[in-house]
Amino acid sequence: MKGLAKSLHDRNLLPYVLLVPVLIFFIVWNVLPLLWMVGLSFYKYDITTGEPLKFLGLTNYKGIFENTGIWQALSKTFWFVIIGVGLETILGMALGFLFWGSAKMPGRRLALTLLFSPMILTPVAAGTFFRLIYDPVFGIANYYLKQWFGITVNFLGDAKWAYPAVLLVDIWMWTPFMILMTLAALGSVPKAELEAAEVDRLPWIKRLWHIVLPHGKFILMLGILLRTIDSFKTMDLVYTMTSGGPGNATELIAISLFRRAFEAFTMGNASALAIITLLIAIAFTSIYLYILNYKERRA
Amino acid sequence: MKTKSVSIVVMLAILFTMILSACSGNKSDNGTPTSGGNSGGTSSTSGTSGGDEGSSPLAGKKIEMSILGIGGWLPSSLSVDMSPDFAAYAKEKYGYDVTFTFEEAPFTSLFQKAAASLSTKSQEFNIIISDSQWLGAFAEPGWIVSVNEIMEQEPELKNIEWFDPVVEKAYMTYPDGTDQLWGMPQEGDVMVLYVRKDLLSDPNEQANFKAKYGFDLPQTFEDFEKLTIDKYLKMAEFFTRPEQDLYGAAVQYSKEYDYFTGSLYPFIWSSGGEIWDQNTGDVYGVLNTENNAKALETMVSIKNYMPPGAENYGIAQITEAFTQGKLFSAYQWAAVGGAMVTPELQDKVLIVPIPGYEVNGEIRRITSIGGQPWVINKFNDEDHMRVAIDFLKWWYLPETQIEYAKRGGNPTTKAVLESPDFESIQPWFRAYKYSLTEERSRDFWHHPKYSEMLSVQQEAFTSYATGGEKDPLKTLETVACKQQQILYDAGTAKNAPPAACASVK
Repeated sequence: MKGLAKSLHDRNLLPYVLLVPVLIFFIVWNVLPLLWMVGLSFYKYDITTGEPLKFLGLTNYKGIFENTGIWQALSKTFWFVIIGVGLETILGMALGFLFWGSAKMPGRRLALTLLFSPMILTPVAAGTFFRLIYDPVFGIANYYLKQWFGITVNFLGDAKWAYPAVLLVDIWMWTPFMILMTLAALGSVPKAELEAAEVDRLPWIKRLWHIVLPHGKFILMLGILLRTIDSFKTMDLVYTMTSGGPGNATELIAISLFRRAFEAFTMGNASALAIITLLIAIAFTSIYLYILNYKERRA
Repeated sequence: MKTKSVSIVVMLAILFTMILSACSGNKSDNGTPTSGGNSGGTSSTSGTSGGDEGSSPLAGKKIEMSILGIGGWLPSSLSVDMSPDFAAYAKEKYGYDVTFTFEEAPFTSLFQKAAASLSTKSQEFNIIISDSQWLGAFAEPGWIVSVNEIMEQEPELKNIEWFDPVVEKAYMTYPDGTDQLWGMPQEGDVMVLYVRKDLLSDPNEQANFKAKYGFDLPQTFEDFEKLTIDKYLKMAEFFTRPEQDLYGAAVQYSKEYDYFTGSLYPFIWSSGGEIWDQNTGDVYGVLNTENNAKALETMVSIKNYMPPGAENYGIAQITEAFTQGKLFSAYQWAAVGGAMVTPELQDKVLIVPIPGYEVNGEIRRITSIGGQPWVINKFNDEDHMRVAIDFLKWWYLPETQIEYAKRGGNPTTKAVLESPDFESIQPWFRAYKYSLTEERSRDFWHHPKYSEMLSVQQEAFTSYATGGEKDPLKTLETVACKQQQILYDAGTAKNAPPAACASVK
């Protein structure tokens, strides 16, 4: 106790002492399970067979790399991320600039609150709502399609429509996040520079490129990075709407992982796939950080 | 040097985690069916009888029991709705107080919820209402009590006469074909056909149909006993009138859980096909046949007579469409009879066996068995185990089963199903009783790899139904290859997938 009291007064030790509780939490709930999962990925462990663990070496990884279903799921996921995050960023930035430039608009706060509301829904709730919205018989989307165009579209039951339909829901949910990031990025730009640009009547595209982006790029890139990682592990939204179907039209990698872990209960195989997806997410992060720090490195 | 140090640390970490994971292990010391051992577990199944009045070791105690059942499924919730009756019975007969709580999960996640609890040896759920196909997956890890052991101690349960041997096969037995019992039937269920008899009995409809197709619309249960699939499809076509928002038929095409599979199997079995060889564990060459491809094609062709959005149809969607008057007929579970026959449709619905196939001059129909067994948590303490067994003994009393039937459940005991007024209790009971026989109904596999096998075929079948795959035989071949691999890896099938499966991964 004396030692602890002494360390609390020691300026050199104090930061570390204060970090200890968080570190313990992090190690127990993040690091240890991760290490466990890494180890499990080298074993065959099927919960429902009652058989003991069997060491397989790299067999689980080999099976995953040879599985065309996994490659298809990865491909669908990559496109989901690229298109989804891309459109969310473009729309988010456009709306962000719109709101930034309309500080005196009446009802701005209400509009922003409503705009952010999709973001706070749980994905399962959003998926359930949109499943009803998209219903070909009872859904409101088809009601208006029938009224205006005389057509009915089975959004979630038709393989060519299901993927864009779930992607649209993801974009609807997470564009507000990019709006938020854009507003934060704009907030980090010195007002004097923006005012000077306005006085000089600089076109908006040049304002964006020479003033806003240099100051706000870190926040924007952080937003894109977070959305990329989050989008990559999308599961509950899509599973609620389509269960990965029809066929495997909307089977993202996280759904494949879910099936292995919680339908087939092949925990060893699922762990291997989880490690691979973790490495992919780490790779994404590294790429973004590389791009972010590119200019500093060149300098 | 720095790189070398980092490499050594990483290698040591990987080695450490491998050792750590190996040390956890899956200690199946509770006896698995394949080992044939007696169960250890945390409480013994011997001497768990409640005993006679006043002599129960639980007399004076208050016990809280938890049942895990299927969310939004009336037969499941009935067990808890009726639990006050058991509480009164237990108080009078055994002298203890018991209350029940009901946890629920939808079909798609019931096993996950149960497995997550049971794998930690928890007695969070004392009794579980399992789907019949999950028996193997519960039994192999040693999570549930052997019913054989219970029956050795409880003659009342051993002496129950089931309506048909199919009851024991479907709701109690794992592995298939053995005498090892792991569950007891909570709810019996079969796929039947719901038909709008008001449309059938309309003279104009009768005349127009006869003029167009040359045979009479069936009117009675007996007429439908002779109905073949070809004639049924003509009826479906006749009553498909999108301009009137009326459609001739409905089956389940949804990828969720076993919806598509439960609807497809009657077509396969009735036409003479099989889904696997139970003795050898082979799927390849058994499932992927021309006969089964034709059955799959026929089943998917019903989409032409269904409302828009048919590809998404599961139990709820069919119920909704039927009760809204959009359907002339529907393949649907008998267990949902209460929801299908609303007060508005009370005298307008006839519930009959599914159409059959004419095979060698006879009508052959084999429908899917649904329904759920009770399974008892292996990790219950002695008190909860005792109460669980007392509950089951009460459950199968004739008066309890009759009450269950009156409230909308489907009993399975011979005493009740052969009682004189049984068929008049609920409108679907005649079709249910007719179909619940070995000759006319079958269950899926009870294999521990059930979920994996189901997932594979749900994906493939829905792909075919939505045009992702055009060839039904190729669809079945894909499924057969994957399932053969699953069963071969599990040690059930002796034959590996053939070379033709090399391109299917």
